[in-house]
Amino acid sequence: MRKYVNMFLLPAVVAVSSCGLDNYDAPESKILGRVVYNGEPVGVRGTGEAVQLQLYQDGYELRNPIPVYVGQDGTFEAKLFDGEYKLVTRDNNGPWVNDRDTTVINVRGTANVDVEVTPFYTLSNVQLSLNGNNANASFQINEVAGGLDIDYVMILVGKTSFVDDVSYAIRVDIDDVTAGSTITESIDLTNNNDFKSGRALFARVGLRPAGKDQAIYSQVVRLR
Amino acid sequence: MKKSSIFKVLLLAGGLSCFSSCSEFLEREPDEILTDDQVFSDAIMIESVLANFYGRVTWGQHIGDWFQYTILDEAGKSDGGPDNIQNYGNAQWRVYDYTLIRNINQFLQSLRATTVITDTEKQVYEGEVRFLRAWTYFNMARGLGGMPIVGDEVFDYQGGMDITTLQYPRSTEAGIYDYVIQECDAVSTMLNDEKTINSARANKWAALMLKARAAIYAGSLANYNNKMNSPIRTAGAEVGIPADRAEGYYEQALAAAQDVINNSPYRLQLNKPDDLQRNFYEALSVKDNNTEVIWARDYRYPGQTVNFTTMNIPGSHAEDIDRAAAGPILNLVEAFEYVEDRDGAIKIRDNQGNYVFYDNPLDAFANKDARLGGSVILPNALFKGTPVPLQAGQKVWSNGNWQTVTGQPGELDGLGRLITSSNGPNRSNEQFINKTGFFFRKFLDEAAGASTRGRNSEMWFPRFRFAEAVLIAAEAAMELGDQPVAVGYINQVRGRAGIQPLTAVTLDDIIQERRVEFAFEDHRYWDLKRFRRAHIVWNGVVNSPTAQHYALFPYLVVAPGTPNDGKYVFDKLTFSNSLHPRFFELRNYYNFIDLGWQNANPKIVLNPFQ
Repeated sequence: MRKYVNMFLLPAVVAVSSCGLDNYDAPESKILGRVVYNGEPVGVRGTGEAVQLQLYQDGYELRNPIPVYVGQDGTFEAKLFDGEYKLVTRDNNGPWVNDRDTTVINVRGTANVDVEVTPFYTLSNVQLSLNGNNANASFQINEVAGGLDIDYVMILVGKTSFVDDVSYAIRVDIDDVTAGSTITESIDLTNNNDFKSGRALFARVGLRPAGKDQAIYSQVVRLR
Repeated sequence: MKKSSIFKVLLLAGGLSCFSSCSEFLEREPDEILTDDQVFSDAIMIESVLANFYGRVTWGQHIGDWFQYTILDEAGKSDGGPDNIQNYGNAQWRVYDYTLIRNINQFLQSLRATTVITDTEKQVYEGEVRFLRAWTYFNMARGLGGMPIVGDEVFDYQGGMDITTLQYPRSTEAGIYDYVIQECDAVSTMLNDEKTINSARANKWAALMLKARAAIYAGSLANYNNKMNSPIRTAGAEVGIPADRAEGYYEQALAAAQDVINNSPYRLQLNKPDDLQRNFYEALSVKDNNTEVIWARDYRYPGQTVNFTTMNIPGSHAEDIDRAAAGPILNLVEAFEYVEDRDGAIKIRDNQGNYVFYDNPLDAFANKDARLGGSVILPNALFKGTPVPLQAGQKVWSNGNWQTVTGQPGELDGLGRLITSSNGPNRSNEQFINKTGFFFRKFLDEAAGASTRGRNSEMWFPRFRFAEAVLIAAEAAMELGDQPVAVGYINQVRGRAGIQPLTAVTLDDIIQERRVEFAFEDHRYWDLKRFRRAHIVWNGVVNSPTAQHYALFPYLVVAPGTPNDGKYVFDKLTFSNSLHPRFFELRNYYNFIDLGWQNANPKIVLNPFQ
């Protein structure tokens, strides 16, 4: 009888012990970061994986980057294992001067990082408000790196807090604007269904440098 | 004792049979895997390998995959719910087929050694496979830019070998187009110059057409990429052709196209000058007596058939369950000019904003470019001799207002008048009902049984045809500043369509002409890319006239006692099954390199925006 018990015990021991070795715990460490210019986060398009950074880690055979998606307020976040990582912007991606210098990040628990970029233009003194049936926008265009024309500026109103050149309810584009000028525009919302429904509305303004794949945006403001 | 001897005998017999019986089974020659020697000692086998290559070179937009027509600005999806396309993928129509290139190089190696066919036959076969190889490189180049060129080499990896000798870097973008052009030059002297059966195999003129197309693509890339605000380039010129190369490419394109125009047995097909619509349909979609098509993907029953007709035939003419999977959109229909008016907008409202009334819905398209009727089935137009009804509903005049009444497909009102046609169009998620207001005409097969699942269609898909040679010549001459020549060529194509001649040619005229002439022929996407217009036309702006899809819905007027009763009016609506405008971003000008390729070959550099 004893023999039989032993016979059953052996596979049982094998079954219990064999699985442990090849499993890792999920990564717990974090990079929390912002894409900044002069200490201010840069607003971008946050939908459609439009603006990405790339994380590399040396010491492995393959060198595929880990994509890091930048949110519309210019922040990003990645969950990783502890270790040394290299962070770069994606080639030609984003409304800033293409600069692919590496930022080395040591991740031990949580690492905070600011990625400095040089935008072609910035938007300042942004005022967005709702006045009766009109959405009013006013903002100033500042040249930073310059060198590229301004394709257009846009005023965007959306019905969710995600607002950009793809996700919007109302979009007004203004061409032929110059750096240094202040743009003031009023949009009549009388006939807009999203306005008439009485639900929440959000807005932001954006500027597209000619020849760049992305526009730079102000932060999203809730109109009502 | 007795018992055990019987047992021994049985054991022995069993043991023996085990050793003897199986041997023949294991030594059979496989009948599905053939060795190189077996193939290249038989002329018919060699030809069937070649046939296999011809079956592996269809990429991009083609009639074997109707859905691909709906992603640009030519057609819209009608089978069920909306398509939800918000942007284009990084691997859109990407071609990366080094398996095929290796197979072709293996074929070349063995072909050159075989003795079962004559040297003349060998030369033609070599020309054909090298043409197919050049075509493969061309298809890779227009999506990815420069890619590794491996020549005739067949790589053989053995353990312990230095793998870096097998890793080739990417060529420059100019380099890969130069290679295609050189190969076309070389094979054009090896191939026959007669027409081939159903244009299914490549001849000298197909090689010259590929040369002309590669040269005009390279020329326009060199030209228009460098005119962008920030030209798209890589440091090693894997993407980006220097601007000073443009003129040379345009000259090559013009010379190759003129060779086809002046010396080939093909011409602009004009068999029915009295019925230009029918003439244009037959030039593209009828194989008998065809003088237009130079090289096509041919289909033949049984075995090689295509389901484009089955999927897209109007419900009123369907022979099986399937029908109306997609239809052309108003954007394309309005791109066709009027005979005397270059603005092709359909007149649905007058200057005061009131409806324009038509006795027959087809009258709204009178005096249009003949190619429209040859490419698109318009409301109430004939297909196989009977009209194709398209009616979205009724416009009922009540209390000084137009009321829109729609019903179930095929429903009649109390007076027996049709409300909504069984073909549609409507704005729903229903299958088998048109949603755009138009059906495909080009490539829709008229043969009996061609729209049944069991048979499908023998329709071909032309890859090169004579009109392309003419329009390449017009474009190249225009870019080289030779207006009289450019005007002469473009007017040949416009003349066959029955529309007014031009007196000067601009790039916009070329884009416009190519759009309507080559609708559904896999040109539009690549054209807008090489002219660097795709991000402007498909700008992703809601209700943009070019990026948003539109439908045109015909209505029967119900206004008893007024002269307009029983006439037809139209509404222009956003197309309900493309929720979002088309959005082509700068990153879409070149496909992304798959990181797996780079892992296998670290010499492959990535594309811009990647």
